Amino acid sequence: MGTEPPDRVELLQGTLDMLILKTLLLGPAHGHEIAKHLQRTTENVLQVEHGSLYPALHRLERKEWVKSKWETPKDRNREFKYYRLTAAGKKQLLLEESRWKQLADAIARVMWPVKEG
Amino acid sequence: MRFWRSILERMSRKPAASEEEDFERELRAHLDLEAEDQQAAGLSPGEARYAAARAFGNQSLVREDVRAAWRNVGIEQLLQDFRYAVRGLRRSPAFAAVAILSLALGIGAATGVFSVLNAVVLQPLPVAQPDRLVVLQPELRNKRFVLFNPLFEELRRTQRSLSGLFAVSDEPYMKAAFGRENPGFVRGSLVSGNYFRVLGVSAELGRVLTEEDDDSSSEACAAVVSHAYWTSALHADHAVIGSPVVVREKACTIVGVASSSFRTHEPGYSPDLWVPLRPLTDPKLLASRSMAFFSGVMGRLNEDATTTQAAIELTTLFQRMQVVNEASPRPGEPPTNPSDFRIQVLPGAQGLASVARLFGRPLTLAFAVAGIVLLIAGVNVANLLLARGYARTMELATRAALGAGRARLIRMLAVEGTVVAAAGGVLGFTVAWLVAPTLAKAVSPPARPISFDPSPDIRVFAVAAAATLLAALLAGILPAFRLSGRDLQSSMAGAGRTAGSRSGKHLGRVLVAAQFALSLLLVTSAGLLLRSMQRVLAVDPGFDASQVVLLDVRDTEPAARFGETDSTAQKARRAARYELLERRLNEQPGVRSASLSWLGLFGGSYVGLNTYDVEEPEKTRFTLVDYVTPRYFETIGMQLRRGRGFTEADREGAERVAIVNEAFVRQRITSGREAIGRKLVMTYADDRRPFTIVGVVRDAKYNDLRERETEPMLWVPLAQVSVKLTSVALRVRPGSEQAVTAAARSVLTAVSPDLMVRKITTLRAQVDQATARERLLMRLSSGFGGLAILLAAVGLYGSLAYAVTRRTREIGIRLAPGAQRNSVVRLMLRESLAVVAAAILVGAPLSLAAGTLLKGFLFGVTAYDPIALLSGGAVLSLVAVLAAFAPARRASKVDPVLALRCE
Repeated sequence: MGTEPPDRVELLQGTLDMLILKTLLLGPAHGHEIAKHLQRTTENVLQVEHGSLYPALHRLERKEWVKSKWETPKDRNREFKYYRLTAAGKKQLLLEESRWKQLADAIARVMWPVKEG
Repeated sequence: MRFWRSILERMSRKPAASEEEDFERELRAHLDLEAEDQQAAGLSPGEARYAAARAFGNQSLVREDVRAAWRNVGIEQLLQDFRYAVRGLRRSPAFAAVAILSLALGIGAATGVFSVLNAVVLQPLPVAQPDRLVVLQPELRNKRFVLFNPLFEELRRTQRSLSGLFAVSDEPYMKAAFGRENPGFVRGSLVSGNYFRVLGVSAELGRVLTEEDDDSSSEACAAVVSHAYWTSALHADHAVIGSPVVVREKACTIVGVASSSFRTHEPGYSPDLWVPLRPLTDPKLLASRSMAFFSGVMGRLNEDATTTQAAIELTTLFQRMQVVNEASPRPGEPPTNPSDFRIQVLPGAQGLASVARLFGRPLTLAFAVAGIVLLIAGVNVANLLLARGYARTMELATRAALGAGRARLIRMLAVEGTVVAAAGGVLGFTVAWLVAPTLAKAVSPPARPISFDPSPDIRVFAVAAAATLLAALLAGILPAFRLSGRDLQSSMAGAGRTAGSRSGKHLGRVLVAAQFALSLLLVTSAGLLLRSMQRVLAVDPGFDASQVVLLDVRDTEPAARFGETDSTAQKARRAARYELLERRLNEQPGVRSASLSWLGLFGGSYVGLNTYDVEEPEKTRFTLVDYVTPRYFETIGMQLRRGRGFTEADREGAERVAIVNEAFVRQRITSGREAIGRKLVMTYADDRRPFTIVGVVRDAKYNDLRERETEPMLWVPLAQVSVKLTSVALRVRPGSEQAVTAAARSVLTAVSPDLMVRKITTLRAQVDQATARERLLMRLSSGFGGLAILLAAVGLYGSLAYAVTRRTREIGIRLAPGAQRNSVVRLMLRESLAVVAAAILVGAPLSLAAGTLLKGFLFGVTAYDPIALLSGGAVLSLVAVLAAFAPARRASKVDPVLALRCE
């Protein structure tokens, strides 16, 4: 536990979906890879329990925003379930991104108003 | 089906085992990978495994959440599809209205007819274990026969397979006087004492009848009133228990009110009053082995008995009571032997089924017809959705391109069809609710006050739900698979421009042809029944039914009992009263002629007596008889062929006279002899004084216009025999029916308060009543046939209109090099007629098959009537041409330049 940074942020509802979709934009990945990627890119700030990825992944799959397939990576002789983005998923990512941006902008405008003049 | 299964899976059932397994595998892989990473970071294998599990979090919670994700997304998408479908329908209200309305009519028709069928035929009696009840049906030489009371009593004493056996004698117009009130008619039932015990019905108040009440020697007499009568006519007064009621001139006491849930032993006939059979029936009738008066006999099977065992036992007992080589009770049949007799034990859960026997078949047929209408409506909506679906190919292709899976597209379309079906179902159920009571009224056998309550029960709801589901399957699934099965990518490339996939167009045509084929079936059936009814109406009845008002009357003055004759004084008094009555009625303004009779025409009763010619006493024959006043023949318009009619002088004490019909002369008078002047004896009671034939009337129909051979019949002056009138006939001047009816009522009361009117009708209505079943069927099949054709026309119109839109370019190309516009119209018409031709090819054999089913209801036409079939085909073709006309015109107006430019 001592290795963890002291101030970790709880993830906002629904944001995880967006993060997963964004991660998959880079290419197909299995659950563990996604978890590692999130951990690495946020430098352990976001508190993502690995387990919480899976309900999100399966929800996204049911919504047909991602597709999954068991595949064996080149360097291993074991199958992993790879998720990849669908066209609808890409559209959804754009939508959520712009929504998030709007929200973040709006919050920013309240929190750090730009002084006029 | 896959679609429904997947919905069900998502909503209720546990996820498929494979899905669970798949996730476990995924979970294991994750933990292994993480453990590897941790090990690489320097942890021991055990520690690494522990760290991986910790980083993962609560595994069982994750499992739960994953499952929830599977479920919720399914429901969410369903809601989304639902909203989408509703939005889509609201965007095209005309389409939505036509689709929903046609399904509503189909579902409404099926549900409406079923709710009546249910009330008349299917609903079990509301008693304990109705499936253990049985109806006893005696048979003589495999034809329905009657059970005489002494035989019934003996059966009851000796049989062992039933825990109880009771007889019922319904009296639809039973004279009863409650308390101090004037006597009136109630619906009565005379029942064996164990009636309530065997049925398992208890009392709401007081007690029910028991075996002790049913004692023929008893001077006391108990009566039970129905809950409905108690609340409506007796003001739900608890003081009625113990109060007097005079029934059939016998002082009875009300001992109880029957349970509110119990109405009857026979669907449609709900008695107001139950009284014990024996104390209220003439002892001579009870002892008679030739006069039957039961409406039916029912029993309840013992725990371990089956209907077959009961039938064997009862038949054996019944045969033992019969005598070898006995004169047949049926005129003209050879003497009977015990083995000719049998007792059938029929399931009695629905009670005595006289109305069901009469109307069960027509109602079942009508239900089948309504089912066909539903099929047509479903196919119609499928077709409309299909056409609309093609128009939306572009949209669907876009959706597919955007990543919507095939399953998702199917679901979307199926939800749309289901939404239409559900809306149609709700509306249809409302239609059924409104229409069923009217339909129920048409179920009326002659001469009985019958009423059915077709309010929906669980069965009706089930049928409505099944009808809606069928509609949803047809309207939703069919187009969904059809459309999503097409190669949407290629549609994307050329949607709305090319002539479209061949198979798609083909399916649309097949559906329209199927609709027309089914319509042909209904239209020809309607045609057959219409033609049959025409034939019935064209029959010369031998009398004149127009402008005749009939009063169904009971003379309730106490009189001689069965088998006895009234005293001379009483006879004279009655004769004087009837004479006065006839004279007074004839004096009423608006009355052309009035007469009284014992039975009258089309009253539903034949009464025959054994008669013989005094010169040939050994030739006793069964002859129909009626007793009438002098102006009877004139009133109903029967023509005197020879001799004279009756006059006022033909009274008691004068020479006894008779009038016979031509059939009597043909069949009963040895050829060459003169009928007039012959003397006949009627064997009734002990009176053997002969009647001399003084006149011959033309043959007529007596109870049914479809009677083929006129039965020999004879009439005798009412004044010369001692029977009570039951029928008053009044030939009135046009327009004076109302006034005359009112006047006649007051004349009757003025002459004697004992003369009570049961029912007022016209001879025409009475004649029509005899064909009530056929009329019901005819009306339903014409209505449904019309509906079917309309739906089929809408289907054809829709598919052609759509074809024109799709083929604008093709038509443009045809027109560009100078093809005649007429040829385009011809092309469209040819296509629609091709559809109809195919429909007729398929529909004709179906129609012939339907005709054979209708055989029993047809008169004067065969089931293979070519005119009905041909006119059915003609109507279909005409409708097809009309439906094709508008699209064809539009096609001919296509501007080749525009059509080609829209590429």
